[in-house]
Amino acid sequence: MRQILAMMRKEFKQIFRDRSMVAIIFLIPVIQLFILANAITLDVMHIKLLVADLDNSRVSREMIQAFSHTKRFDIVGMTRNLDGIRRDFRSWRAQMVLIIPPKFGRNLERRLNPRIQFDVDGVDGNTAGVALGYARGILTQFGETILQNPGWRASLQGVHLISMEERMWYNPELDSRQFIIPGIVVVLLTLLPMMLSSMSLVKEKETGTLEQLIVTPMKKYELILGKLIPFLILSYVELTLVMVIAIFFFHIAMNGSYFLLGELSFVYLFTTLGLGIFISTVTSSQQQAMFLSWFISIFIILMSGFFIPIENMPDVLQKLTYLNPMRYFMYIVRDIFQKGSGLKYLLQDAIPMTAYGVFVLSVSVLKFRKRVE
Amino acid sequence: MTAINIQNFHKFYGSLEAARGITFSVQKGEIFGVIGPDGAGKTTLLRAICTLLLPDQGSITINGLDVTKSVGEVRKILGYMPQRFSLYPDLTVHQNLQFFADLFEVPLKEKNERLQQLYRFSKLEPFKNRKAANLSGGMKQKLALSCALIHRPEILVLDEPTTGVDPLSRQEFWEILHTIQKEGTTILISTAYMDEAEQCDRVVLFFRGRTVGLDTLENLKKKYPYRLYWLKAKNLRKLLDFFQTLENVRAIQLSGDTLHVGFDTVPAAGDWQAWIKATAGNLEEWESRPPSIEDVFLDLMRRPQ
Repeated sequence: MRQILAMMRKEFKQIFRDRSMVAIIFLIPVIQLFILANAITLDVMHIKLLVADLDNSRVSREMIQAFSHTKRFDIVGMTRNLDGIRRDFRSWRAQMVLIIPPKFGRNLERRLNPRIQFDVDGVDGNTAGVALGYARGILTQFGETILQNPGWRASLQGVHLISMEERMWYNPELDSRQFIIPGIVVVLLTLLPMMLSSMSLVKEKETGTLEQLIVTPMKKYELILGKLIPFLILSYVELTLVMVIAIFFFHIAMNGSYFLLGELSFVYLFTTLGLGIFISTVTSSQQQAMFLSWFISIFIILMSGFFIPIENMPDVLQKLTYLNPMRYFMYIVRDIFQKGSGLKYLLQDAIPMTAYGVFVLSVSVLKFRKRVE
Repeated sequence: MTAINIQNFHKFYGSLEAARGITFSVQKGEIFGVIGPDGAGKTTLLRAICTLLLPDQGSITINGLDVTKSVGEVRKILGYMPQRFSLYPDLTVHQNLQFFADLFEVPLKEKNERLQQLYRFSKLEPFKNRKAANLSGGMKQKLALSCALIHRPEILVLDEPTTGVDPLSRQEFWEILHTIQKEGTTILISTAYMDEAEQCDRVVLFFRGRTVGLDTLENLKKKYPYRLYWLKAKNLRKLLDFFQTLENVRAIQLSGDTLHVGFDTVPAAGDWQAWIKATAGNLEEWESRPPSIEDVFLDLMRRPQ
């Protein structure tokens, strides 16, 4: 016990003596949170829309107006030259073109089912799809409004229109920050413990102090506990800090139990701290440890559903994500934050995550030897 | 009483054999030197004694305890100072000492007294709040020694503690070691400096993973089989070339401004005159001298194993 406390004291002294370390631990995550929360946005807004109104009727003008009334689209210009579209796409002047063919209004009145055309820049497939969805929504609504006109109504007697009412649960404003910021919490609880623990263990190897620690009568578990508990504590400080900013500054809804979040974070830290020990056993310098940590982090972040939904991945990759401990915690944290889910609903992720944590930690501890090579 | 007993110790690093069957024992209370050039296998052996490495073959016991089995016990008895300075450079002298006192479980009642004692002999007290990184080489070594001694080990193992330390600090360091010895501590020390062998009660000579000699320095010198002369000349290199060809010469080496030559039999007065003539007056002085540790070591090294 005395030895564990001595290790912990020493670890804290070393961390707080090193200013750059303190900055890495406390400042960088906050900066990250502010930048990433605003940068990683999945909302599609201000789509640059070019309009080619070849009809120029009352109906076509009303339709264009419907597009100009929403923040989702910015009408960047009107054109009659369809050949110029290619140039506009290339120069990023337009992302989408609405083409209303000649005689559209008249054909509509004559029930000839006239068609309009959308050309979309498909380079960013995700945005293109979302933009088309919005356009479809606007047109549906537009269709309904023109049907309200007395003139139209008379001619459409007896036609029943189904109208749809949308209700978004958990995140009614579809604010992507509600989704991203809990994800950032997960990323922080992954990177910080893994990097700090691996770097600090490898540093002992590099400076030769590990040799000095090995020859003391301290047991292996005491050495590892003394090393890891400070990082566990720091991770919780970090979690608290980020939560405070998320809730009070970004107004992220925390609908679940703080206690449950803290508890499951503890289990998750088994995995990330364990990975840290593991990295330290296979590397011999801080650079190597840093490189390996980055390599692992990039993989597990991309495969966790942080910004790329797992459901969108090919089947094989989806199955592969079951090997990713971060995947489980990502679901858990988002569910606690947004849905306020209790443990009962989280078990399907919590159980594999716990198993993972116990496995990684025990393998790493076994691999960590109180000997030199 | 035997403090350390090493039997047929072997250690391989891949295909490289760092230790090839080392056998010797260290008696309680002696300063025992492991002497040899870099790469002779000194560090490998010392690490194995300190439970840092597992022997591939053979056995090592400390006070009769097997170092591979009674690891915990052995670590309490031993104090180890590795070759490289390996304390925390970002902690102060005092913090380093405190830390190791806690790790070695020095009883809290005795801790302060022990630290005071260590400060007294190391004279580090004025620097107790200085970061270890900012100490001079000699002070670093004294701090490392203090940390190794913090739990009053029965046996102290030092791996080239004086490498890269200035001569004055080296001398001071040895004085401290002799004081520790008087308190009853057994000391096993490795060094590549031949002159430090003089400070040891007994030495073992290491070469390429083998022991080539084991005794007191006195006896090793006595066993030197040749008549040794120190020769001076205008041109030592030419003199070396000349004496190398003589039949009577068994050992020859340049050492500073003299040439050490070991003859099979004592050369007659007439021989010297003939050699002056043969070297056209290059040979100027000669003097019969007892062998130095270098002479002994070089001779033992060259013998077929």
